[in-house]
Amino acid sequence: MNEQSSSPRTEYGYAFLILRLWLGLRALFAGLEKFESKGSYSFAAYYENMGRMATGISGASFLPLWSTKLFAFSIGYLLLVFGLTLLLGIKTRLTLVAHGLLYVALSFGLMVVQEAEGVAWLGMHVVLTVGALLLVRYNRFAVTRD
Amino acid sequence: MSDVNSSPVSRRDFIGTGAKLGAFLAAAPYVARGAAGAAKADQLNVALIGCGEQGRILTNAALPIPGVRFKAVCDIWPYNLTRTERLLKKFGHEARPFEDYREMLSSVSDIDAVIIATPDFMHAEHTNAALRAGKHVYCEKLMSNTVEGARSMVVTARETKKLLQLGHQRRSNPRYQHARDRILNGDRLLGRVTNISGQWHRAVSDDYGYPANQAIVEAKLGKYGYANMHEFRNWRWFKRYAGGPMSDLGAHQIDMYNWMLGSNPRSCMASGGTDYYKTHEWFDNAIAIFEFPTKDGMVRASYQVLTTTSAGGGYHEYFMGDEGALKLSENPKYTKLYREARAPEWDQWVAKGIVASPTSGEGAPAAVKPWEKVGVKKLGGPSKSAGVDVRETAALSAWDIPVTLDKAIHQPHLENFVDAVRKGTPLSCPGESAFATAVTVLKINEAIAAQKTLMFKPEDFVA
Ligand SMILES: NC(=O)c1ccc[n+]([C@@H]2O[C@H](COP(=O)([O-])OP(=O)(O)OC[C@H]3O[C@@H](n4cnc5c(N)ncnc54)[C@H](O)[C@@H]3O)[C@@H](O)[C@H]2O)c1
Repeated sequence: MNEQSSSPRTEYGYAFLILRLWLGLRALFAGLEKFESKGSYSFAAYYENMGRMATGISGASFLPLWSTKLFAFSIGYLLLVFGLTLLLGIKTRLTLVAHGLLYVALSFGLMVVQEAEGVAWLGMHVVLTVGALLLVRYNRFAVTRD
Repeated sequence: MSDVNSSPVSRRDFIGTGAKLGAFLAAAPYVARGAAGAAKADQLNVALIGCGEQGRILTNAALPIPGVRFKAVCDIWPYNLTRTERLLKKFGHEARPFEDYREMLSSVSDIDAVIIATPDFMHAEHTNAALRAGKHVYCEKLMSNTVEGARSMVVTARETKKLLQLGHQRRSNPRYQHARDRILNGDRLLGRVTNISGQWHRAVSDDYGYPANQAIVEAKLGKYGYANMHEFRNWRWFKRYAGGPMSDLGAHQIDMYNWMLGSNPRSCMASGGTDYYKTHEWFDNAIAIFEFPTKDGMVRASYQVLTTTSAGGGYHEYFMGDEGALKLSENPKYTKLYREARAPEWDQWVAKGIVASPTSGEGAPAAVKPWEKVGVKKLGGPSKSAGVDVRETAALSAWDIPVTLDKAIHQPHLENFVDAVRKGTPLSCPGESAFATAVTVLKINEAIAAQKTLMFKPEDFVA
């Protein structure tokens, strides 16, 4: 097969686009669901959900409540921002690094409460983010170029 | 307070007297003395005959009941007698120890009631003697190992006009009362009950032993009717002392069949044998089937007792109707209520506090970790098409009974007895209805021996 229909660059470009869209949508909806309670969305629901998460983790680990609260109360907004920037392709490289670190931090929270299944689940996100970083140089269809 | 109706000074009278005195004299000291006197008037002096396992359980369950004072304890085995005497002393009860119940009844004059927890073959003798001595009696189940023994107890209670409560304690358990009065009968959540199955499955256990230096000499054992120390300790498995596992374990549960249905059976067939234990006379594996005619129609009821395995779900009584089923057990972990898919929704009964949606265990929503978001629907679980056979009906939904017992299981039954003595309130398990249970239970052993279906006559249940 010496005839090629497209260059590897184009395939990498599409591969990255698919990954970027998936990660973007995932981050967006992971952020949005944190504002939901019993089918409706609100800031009150957000603070209730995140408060439960923070006290749950602190109650089962050595992490002080102030630290888990600080993290929990910001995570929803961060995910929304990362979701949007990934989908639109704004500062994609930087976003991916921050997004990867966020998932490492989330995994850390579950590691300290020995939630192995959850760690594995988040680990998949970390691996996909790493894959995205390896392909980010093929980024196309983006609002800003890195 | 040896007779309910002839209490010399009632609590109200006494407080009334104290108040009048207070009008004449400086009030405070007399109010204090009045209160102490009122407590005395409420005091119920009890004696215990039989200080074995159950004797101690009943002692512990009676100790928290206000006003109950142990005045005497009786047992032929000094080892158990001393242990119970010491236990009571720890709680401030000076109970005089006796080997002979006759001596106890004649020499401790201020006993109001006697609790009897001796082996079944002694129940009639001990109960009848206590009743004739003018005491009210709380006697353990099974009433007696013979129908004649049980009948004599009812007759003596009737003649002496003393109270006789039998130790079928489920009848005073608020969960069982709720199940009978609201679920099964009142609101009829099970619809038409057609079947009961019940069981007590218990794993193999060693026979009871005894400390070598605590053996009772043979002559003394013989005087009290025991062949040897092994039979003295393991009396429940020998025919001359008891009715075997159907009476030891089954009696409680078969009592619930009669009590919940409000009816006695008309027939009994049974099978059983001593298939496993070399050191027991009584069956280790037995099953019985009864027919209970009720106002709604026939209820067929099976009961199985196994002392060779704990497999198959422990111990429970399972009442099954066309709209729901109720699995009751003294152990809340074996208790559950089920609604048939064809039955009307139970939301109104939840709102009224008759049933509860489970928050844990069977029927409860999947557990949520403390940090997880609540209310998220999880994928998985059996699909609607998971049935193997097209004739399978829809699964029952699981519910809970919102009534719990927060005391030792025997305490409410003892309280019911104490209240009956003090206030004349009805007994949960008077001799007459315990007699019907004894007749039902003892018929099983007869049916096993006869290897055929035996019929009851309505008059069999009347003492
Ligand atoms: N209601 C319940 O849940 C329940 C549970 C267990 C046992 N029981 C009943 O309680 C009774 C006792 O059972 P247990 O398990 O305590 O047996 P056990 O063998 O542990 O105790 C029986 C006691 O009675 C004493 N005793 C025997 N003959 C005596 C006599 N002639 N005079 C005075 N004392 C005598 C023995 O020395 C022993 O201390 C039985 O009727 C049994 O069916 C009821």
